[in-house]
Amino acid sequence: MPKILIVDDSATIRKMVRSSLRPLADAEFAEAGNGLEAIEQIALGPVALIILDLNMPDMHGVDVLKFLRRHQGWSDVPVVVLTTRGDEASRDTAMEAGATEYLTKPFAPQVLLASARSLLADTAAGPRV
Amino acid sequence: MTVDNGNPFSDFLDDYFAECDDHLMGVRRLLLTLESSVGRSEINRSALDELFRHFHSLKGISGMVELRAAEDLAHSLEDYLRALRQREATLTAQGVDALFDGAQILEQVIGARRDGTQPPSIDGAVAQIRRVLIDAAADRAAAAPSADTLSTAATARATQPRWRCTFSPSADLVARGVRVDSVRKRLATAGEILNAVPRVTRDGAVMFEFELAAALDEATLAAWRADGIIAEPMGDAEMSDAGNGRATPAGLPELLPSIDAEPGQAGGVSPSHFVRVDLTRLDELMRNVGDLVISRARLSETLGRLERRIPSAEWRAIQENAVAIDRQLRTLREGIMRVRLVPVGEIFRRMPFVVRDLARETGKRVRLELQGQSTEIDKFLIERMMDPVLHLVRNAVSHGIETAEERIAAGKRPEGTIVLSAATAGDLVRIEVADDGRGVDADAVVARATEAGLPVPQGTLDASHLLSLLCAPGFSTRDESDRASGRGVGMGVVQAAVEELSGSLSLETTPGAGTRFTLELPVTLAITDALIATVGGETFAVPQGAVREVMEVPASGLLQVERNEMTPYRGGALPIVRLGRLFGLPDSTRERLHVFVVGTGAAALGIAVDRIVGQREIVVRAIADALVRVEGISGATDLGDGNVVLILDPAVLARHMRERPDRVFAATGASR
Amino acid sequence: MSASHTVQGLETYILFTVAGTTYALPSRDVRHMEMLEGVTRVPNAPPFVDGVVFSRGQVVPVVNLRVRFGFERAPYDLRTRLIVVQSAGRVIGLVVDSAREFVNIPPTAIQPPHEALAGMSGRYVEGVASVGERLILTLDLSRILKFAENLSMDLSS
Repeated sequence: MPKILIVDDSATIRKMVRSSLRPLADAEFAEAGNGLEAIEQIALGPVALIILDLNMPDMHGVDVLKFLRRHQGWSDVPVVVLTTRGDEASRDTAMEAGATEYLTKPFAPQVLLASARSLLADTAAGPRV
Repeated sequence: MTVDNGNPFSDFLDDYFAECDDHLMGVRRLLLTLESSVGRSEINRSALDELFRHFHSLKGISGMVELRAAEDLAHSLEDYLRALRQREATLTAQGVDALFDGAQILEQVIGARRDGTQPPSIDGAVAQIRRVLIDAAADRAAAAPSADTLSTAATARATQPRWRCTFSPSADLVARGVRVDSVRKRLATAGEILNAVPRVTRDGAVMFEFELAAALDEATLAAWRADGIIAEPMGDAEMSDAGNGRATPAGLPELLPSIDAEPGQAGGVSPSHFVRVDLTRLDELMRNVGDLVISRARLSETLGRLERRIPSAEWRAIQENAVAIDRQLRTLREGIMRVRLVPVGEIFRRMPFVVRDLARETGKRVRLELQGQSTEIDKFLIERMMDPVLHLVRNAVSHGIETAEERIAAGKRPEGTIVLSAATAGDLVRIEVADDGRGVDADAVVARATEAGLPVPQGTLDASHLLSLLCAPGFSTRDESDRASGRGVGMGVVQAAVEELSGSLSLETTPGAGTRFTLELPVTLAITDALIATVGGETFAVPQGAVREVMEVPASGLLQVERNEMTPYRGGALPIVRLGRLFGLPDSTRERLHVFVVGTGAAALGIAVDRIVGQREIVVRAIADALVRVEGISGATDLGDGNVVLILDPAVLARHMRERPDRVFAATGASR
Repeated sequence: MSASHTVQGLETYILFTVAGTTYALPSRDVRHMEMLEGVTRVPNAPPFVDGVVFSRGQVVPVVNLRVRFGFERAPYDLRTRLIVVQSAGRVIGLVVDSAREFVNIPPTAIQPPHEALAGMSGRYVEGVASVGERLILTLDLSRILKFAENLSMDLSS
């Protein structure tokens, strides 16, 4: 059962993401409201996909990403970052830091779902080239 | 209630509104703090950062629900905050006004979406911000920017000893509820977190390292150790290292000093120390506890019958247990009631804005002092008290406080003061709105009352008489078009709202010196589920928890056994008591009786009524006076028409029936 | 801070009638007056208690002064009034045949009740006053409201 981690400081957005991904039949969800909680979740068990908001208090999403990518076990986990309109700088930095894909808020649920599906399928299939 | 406009996330509107409320609350608080920074060389950086974050979040979630106006306005406000943070603009009075006005329009836009009404246009607010930014750019071009000194609350507390606190998450700790978030909150309560860094240890485990400035005692250290938090003192030579994705100290939520006159409160309780709880869950909890209480009473009855058969030493032991359970139940019940309590500050928080706006409109100078915001009151009451308190505060500004000139002429300070305070006194909450204005003019009140055709007692009136006149129907505020007094809501509505909640309103006033309105409300409200039944034309309520079952029984099918009526029930027979006969009411002529069964086993009893009309949630009002305190009646309620409906205590009735079947409750003949 | 109920030594009273006689209570004891609607009977209450009503959010016992004074009960009509009084921390409603006036009575105008004024309400009368051409009986509220705790036991026959 693949575990999907949703990281965003807005509880409303976390709910929306979860709802968008509900059609993924066998997925399990975990949520985190900030970077430290996200890292804790990852530490507690394997995660198949991370939806990561960038602009969070305390620890910026990019820093979370950098931490992940630095460490052996998590360097391959697919990460979709959520960026805000007008904040292209963060988006670029995130991609450079190792984000797999980005989505700009407000996003359409189908788009997020499609991304998630394809990323999960890839992982199941094997390491990305 | 929310309208679906095809947005895929329209189901989340309730969450959206709730989250907006949180953010807007933060915005209001921070704007007031920021206002005091205008013209000073230091700006509260952390307030700026937090404010920026709020607008940023509001922008984000508004975009998701496609509330474009809110998104755009939040974006504008965010722009100004960004400029301030990046020192491209300085904080001016004009800028603060733009932020206040913008925040208010934003709130109205969101509120309009919630209520389905027409939202105001955001154009004015957006233009206002743009002007401020343009002026700021011009200023910047004209003069060399001066470096503003950083002022965070951090510097104040940096003198405390530093600790390195580490914590490694694990499944065991999670099972006990210990997670990095709760750990961080505990550390923040104990002191100030200067830094927070995630690390990976040599064996590949994740560890969180916090740099904490705090004074820690052995007890705290031990408690933390038990939950996996290891704290070691840091030497002066050690510095938190750079890189590795560390958290920025300025980004951590700062506890801003509260704006009221309560020095002890500043930076007291962290807002993140609380959880948001759905009120319906609390209501359910209360019901469960209510059931527990009733079960306990039943147990007591059953045990009572065994007393004769048990050796007295054992009986005493049982009694002790019973008493202990009683005590614990009471504590539990009170505890749950207290969970419904919410700080009165929720009502108070928007008052500074109201006063500020109204003072500006009426050209008066008014200062609002808030006291006792942490005083707690039932959530049910909070919502109903908002308007009355608002009305009193508005009144104080528009009718109480004089203009600056008048005040100076009277030898007072030109600025008037309104004190809004809350405090508990036993099981009452007292909310006071006091001003140092002109006081209530008794002659004017009498004149207005006479003009309105209201009966006026002779002679000099005391404050309570004045209040009665002010609240009498027909005594509306002088100037109907005086919207400053609250859209024509008279004092009568305030009094009615207060009294409906079993509270009271009183007035003290001294002409020339000031006025004080005092609201007293009970701290908690007893609410329970009840079955509503009619008997002989009267209506009664029966607490649901006492009822095991409800059934319909044919009157002709009742068996007479000696003096009792019985009905077949679960293979045996159930004694039936007609509630009407107990109360001296006429017997039902209906063929089918409705019966609710109370008690179990051999103690089961069926209480027959004419009809069980339905089930309602009722607010229990105490019957205080001895004249009407009667066995078998546990209280009274209002089903909505203003008439008293008595609440039965079936267990007592049942016991009464068993013990003294001959005695009928006497009827009192009241004429209708 | 507040003015008292007395003006130049006069005290204000509320006047009401019960079975043809005019009585008075000090207005400082009176919270307010209202018309009676929907009194809920309370089983096993003393016979002079008609029941309870809600008044300003509180459950208030309704004492029928006709019955209390020993007169025959009369049905409520449009002139019947409920006078809500306070005494020693209790809030009680009194049902009277009619009530409308306020008068000022100087203390000097009130005489102690004549011994022969036993009558029905004798026990509850504190004084007699002449106001103009009228004779008004002032009442002792605490006696009206006091009742034997176990009065209810007397009812069972």
